[in-house]
Amino acid sequence: MAVTAQSSELAAVVASTIAPLEARGLAVGRGGRAVLARVELIVAAGERVAVVGANGSGKTTLLRALAGLDRPIAGEVRWGGAGLPRGAERVKRVGVLLQGESATAFTVREQVVLGLGLDRAPAASAAAPVDDALRRMDLHEVAERPTVLLSGGEWQRTLLARALVASPGLLLLDEPTNHLDPARRAELLAILDRLGGAVAVVLATHDLECASRCDRVVVVGRGRVAALGAPQDVLTPPILAESLGVRVRRVEDPEGGTPLLRVVGPS
Amino acid sequence: MNRARSATVAVLVALCGAAIVVGLAVGSSGWRGDALSALLRGDDVVAALRAPRVFLSAIIGASLGVAGVAMQVVLRNDLADPYVLGIAGGASAGAVLSLALFPGVPPGPAAAIGGATATSLVRGIARRGPYDPARLLLAGIAVGSVLASVTGLVLVLAPSERLLRSATFWLFGGLGTPPMRAIAVPAAVFCAGFGWTWARAERLDRLSLGDDVATSLGTDARALRRGLQLVAVVVTATVVAVGGLIGFVGLVAPHAARRLVGATHRRLLPVAALLGALVLIAADTVARSAFSPREVPVGLVTAALGGPLFLWLLRRRPAWR
Repeated sequence: MAVTAQSSELAAVVASTIAPLEARGLAVGRGGRAVLARVELIVAAGERVAVVGANGSGKTTLLRALAGLDRPIAGEVRWGGAGLPRGAERVKRVGVLLQGESATAFTVREQVVLGLGLDRAPAASAAAPVDDALRRMDLHEVAERPTVLLSGGEWQRTLLARALVASPGLLLLDEPTNHLDPARRAELLAILDRLGGAVAVVLATHDLECASRCDRVVVVGRGRVAALGAPQDVLTPPILAESLGVRVRRVEDPEGGTPLLRVVGPS
Repeated sequence: MNRARSATVAVLVALCGAAIVVGLAVGSSGWRGDALSALLRGDDVVAALRAPRVFLSAIIGASLGVAGVAMQVVLRNDLADPYVLGIAGGASAGAVLSLALFPGVPPGPAAAIGGATATSLVRGIARRGPYDPARLLLAGIAVGSVLASVTGLVLVLAPSERLLRSATFWLFGGLGTPPMRAIAVPAAVFCAGFGWTWARAERLDRLSLGDDVATSLGTDARALRRGLQLVAVVVTATVVAVGGLIGFVGLVAPHAARRLVGATHRRLLPVAALLGALVLIAADTVARSAFSPREVPVGLVTAALGGPLFLWLLRRRPAWR
């Protein structure tokens, strides 16, 4: 009995220390040609990491490999200490939001149900997590609306609800604030803040403000990881000038919030 | 919303039942008001001649509806139909060659072999690189047009009137007078194909969102697509072998079903099958009786009947709006 209690405690400790995402010696690219190599990244439970880089620097390619969509050219990715399973187990491990998915005739609720990864008609017990995800994303009032009739912000929140409905330990987002107006962008950033700590998030973004709100930032450029660290150490004018080819100025927030990064021109 | 969808399915089932009864009652030997009791009695005309034809129409229509849904998911294209990957071209060439070379032999088996071979060729050509539905579709069109020219050449070079007549009937769909046992194989293939697809309805939902989304939601997109393609080809080749090329049903039924009950395949598949069966039973009844005692190819009637039905559906607000 005591042994069982000890081993279950040990299992809990081990589970809490296993990183939801671990990339070792990763090289990613298209058609066998690496665009980004030697990536070493361990994302802790509940941590939020931004991947920042210029167009073509390999942000999306890296994210696709981290999502298990493309096989890396070299190296290894592990999710929760293991490979990715199929079916409902996969969506419990990783939620993914890609760029450019078009809305269809599915309703909001049907889209969110698909995020459970079920291979049969959803049972009545599936309604609770779906309703919860709809409420968290403020979609319960449009739940029965076909997604083709949604606004851009509602569609983005639907995709986020679908990625989160199975309560994955890791959420991967590709350019989540792209094409959103300022109000919808602020809304999305607030949602990501609300998730805080419950799920590890890796997001590829051009949005320096979005990146500066993360725990760590990976700056990629010239085929490698140029910098990795806390936003205040990494999102600095010299690093951004070299990696993103952009001149930025740090502006202190008069209300005491995160310093703002103002783009003043190309470097 | 759900009640409206259930009512739609109930109406479709009732319409199919009514179409079967009318199909049994109508024929070149006259109207039979007691069609159902004549069927149960084993009446010569109703049970032996009309019933196999009506049931075969239902099975072919339902098969084309389901194969159409499968092909539209595989190709992620709403204009896809069961014949699009070269089956039509291959089946036509196979049937016409069979009719020209072996006039006494039914052209069905040669058509099925021709269709399946052409699809394998299309798949082989389009296989290079990552999956691209547009490349598969274009390969299907290219192979189809080459085979259409083969069909035309055979018809021009072997212009016996008998060949032209049987080829015309076959190319536009002709069910003939099948014995009841002829229904067994297409019925079994339909049941297996429908069952396989129905069991994977949720995976089809995810695949319809594209390979990346499907994969990220835990579906093995490649394996599912391969299976769906195989099911669509086998089901289509089987019905082509017994009924020739019957156009429009496999395109219209999935579209109409989507507009009636939305995009979820758990509802879409049975409704597409019901609509396909309904359209073909009705079309075949017209084909048998409109110019009685002469019969017109059923494919001509499906286009003539299905066209206006489809236009009406296009004007109507879809269920999901």
